[in-house]
Amino acid sequence: MKEIHFEDVKKNYGQTEVVKGLNLTIEKGERLILLGPSGCGKSTTLRLIAGLEEISSGKLIMDGKVVNNIPSGKRNVAMVFQNYALYPHMTVKQNITYALRMKKVPKKEIELRLEDALKMLQLNGLEERLPKDLSGGQRQRVALARAIVKQADYFLLDEPLSNLDAQLRVSARKELVNIHEKYKQTIVYVTHDQIEAMTVGNRIALLNEGVLQMLDTPENVYHHPSNIFTAKFIGAPPTNIFTMKYQDGDIHFGTQSFSLSPEWAKKVYEAASSQLVFGIRPEHIELSTEPQALHATVKSIENLGAEYAVYLTFNNEEMIALSSHKYWPLNQQVYVRFKMEHIHLFDKATTNSIGYPIAYKNKSMSLN
Amino acid sequence: MKISKKVTIPWHIIFIFIIFLLIFPIIFAIGTSFKTLQDAYNNPLSIFPTSPTLENYKVFFESLPAFKVTLNTFIIASVVTIFKVITSFLAAYAFVYFIFKGKNVLYFILISTIFLPFTVTMIPNYLVISKMGLGNSIWGVILPQLADAMGIFLLTQALRSISISLIEVARLDNMSHWHIMKDIVLPLVKPAVTSTGIWFFITSWNEYVWPVLILKSTENFTLPLALQMYISSEGGTNFTVAMAVSVITMILPLALYLIFQKYIIGTFISSGIK
Repeated sequence: MKEIHFEDVKKNYGQTEVVKGLNLTIEKGERLILLGPSGCGKSTTLRLIAGLEEISSGKLIMDGKVVNNIPSGKRNVAMVFQNYALYPHMTVKQNITYALRMKKVPKKEIELRLEDALKMLQLNGLEERLPKDLSGGQRQRVALARAIVKQADYFLLDEPLSNLDAQLRVSARKELVNIHEKYKQTIVYVTHDQIEAMTVGNRIALLNEGVLQMLDTPENVYHHPSNIFTAKFIGAPPTNIFTMKYQDGDIHFGTQSFSLSPEWAKKVYEAASSQLVFGIRPEHIELSTEPQALHATVKSIENLGAEYAVYLTFNNEEMIALSSHKYWPLNQQVYVRFKMEHIHLFDKATTNSIGYPIAYKNKSMSLN
Repeated sequence: MKISKKVTIPWHIIFIFIIFLLIFPIIFAIGTSFKTLQDAYNNPLSIFPTSPTLENYKVFFESLPAFKVTLNTFIIASVVTIFKVITSFLAAYAFVYFIFKGKNVLYFILISTIFLPFTVTMIPNYLVISKMGLGNSIWGVILPQLADAMGIFLLTQALRSISISLIEVARLDNMSHWHIMKDIVLPLVKPAVTSTGIWFFITSWNEYVWPVLILKSTENFTLPLALQMYISSEGGTNFTVAMAVSVITMILPLALYLIFQKYIIGTFISSGIK
């Protein structure tokens, strides 16, 4: 239960910079998710904490100490690997207790911890099996058990659920949250799956090309994305992004326009951006046949199960809206309304959000 | 895909013929070793002796310190094997898991020595061993063979097949290299280590050119040198005795092969060497 602090940390492999000046504080006892597309540097960041990679420049501080040159074995870190990395020649029991036996933890204590972990992860009866005789879900739980018995201060998970099937993944992530509620270690969890990030995380650190895009609660990352990348990466189907012009309280999309609320107009005035980009999530677009200020042409409709994704052409750009039914006339005009409280405005040059008129709590979570 | 019986029968005949060709010399040697010289000249191709005799074995044990010769061969092969396995394993471990400057260059140079013909290193090695006063000593045979690039290559390949995350887990647990080697890496590559060791043993056991340069007196001889005594002009051509020595020479390697054959075949397939 200790905090981790990145101070302008960089990591290069030869000429390629994988982590570009990361500043990040992972608070004690939280579940921080490192999220991003492949190659964004999230796994490297995790491996820097574990000490499996050397830091090129900057400072990594764990529990108040700079650990740049401290070997991984002395950092008191437990890690679960994507492929679980169970020792194939050791039984479940040997796998779980190997590190403890090497550390010369008293036998009684080892038995106690083993018992505890087996019970919590429902591995009773599998102690004498070899990893090759276990299912994917069981292997994943053994890997978790092995990490838990170490009683480390930090718990690092590198895409721990990605090798499981969809159903198992749902139950495994719940299990993971339950375990954390009991042990309260500092968890750093790498994933590329946004649903996992949303459900497991207290906070999400979204990375892209080695740069931190946003660090906030899942709610804020979803509803108040800090830049265009975040808006587009989180949510499926992704946020619609449109070019626009702003003039005297109105937003113009080509020949169409609609009026901003006075709060938004104030925000835009304060931002003083020369050019803005408009963003809106598919579920915040209302389609109707009743006349509205804006209109678009229906191109195709996709069945998503619970709802339908309607693909439209709006001001010569593609727009995706979600609808509860599929009875929209193809290649014909429908009316469109954007829910004012859910629009996003970004500065075109910096791609950063200009902010939101509604005050929202920066940290809507409480720990401890 | 199912291959019909009609197709497999001709293949089987071909394979049986090939196996016969490979096995015939062995059976011939065993059969001939129990023949009298007379019998061997009269029925050279028959594998069954007309009146079986142990005379040939007796000749070997009487004309040479046969027990000492066998022991010499065994000591040389064992010491060479043990050292080669240890040095190869340690070197392979370092090449796979350590990061150091010039690693790739060093590995390249080391592996390239596999392609050096023995004759290139023979003379310098001979001179060094003679100057050390180890001529005519089994230790002179052993010394230049305590490390082996081929062994390093084979074991490096084997170690590379271990998922690196296993080693990383151990490192996170503050495990020393000694424990990682002993508890994790070695058990996982045991088949490769075993078969490499057997291969070293058999190669050393059969070695002829290098021992013949170093070993001068018969009490220091190895089995291949003893064998040569009976088929060269020096000892006359007494090939039934030569066959008896051959049989003694091949017993141990054959036994090792039969015991460990599944390891041996597996390693050579996985390393891409056949």
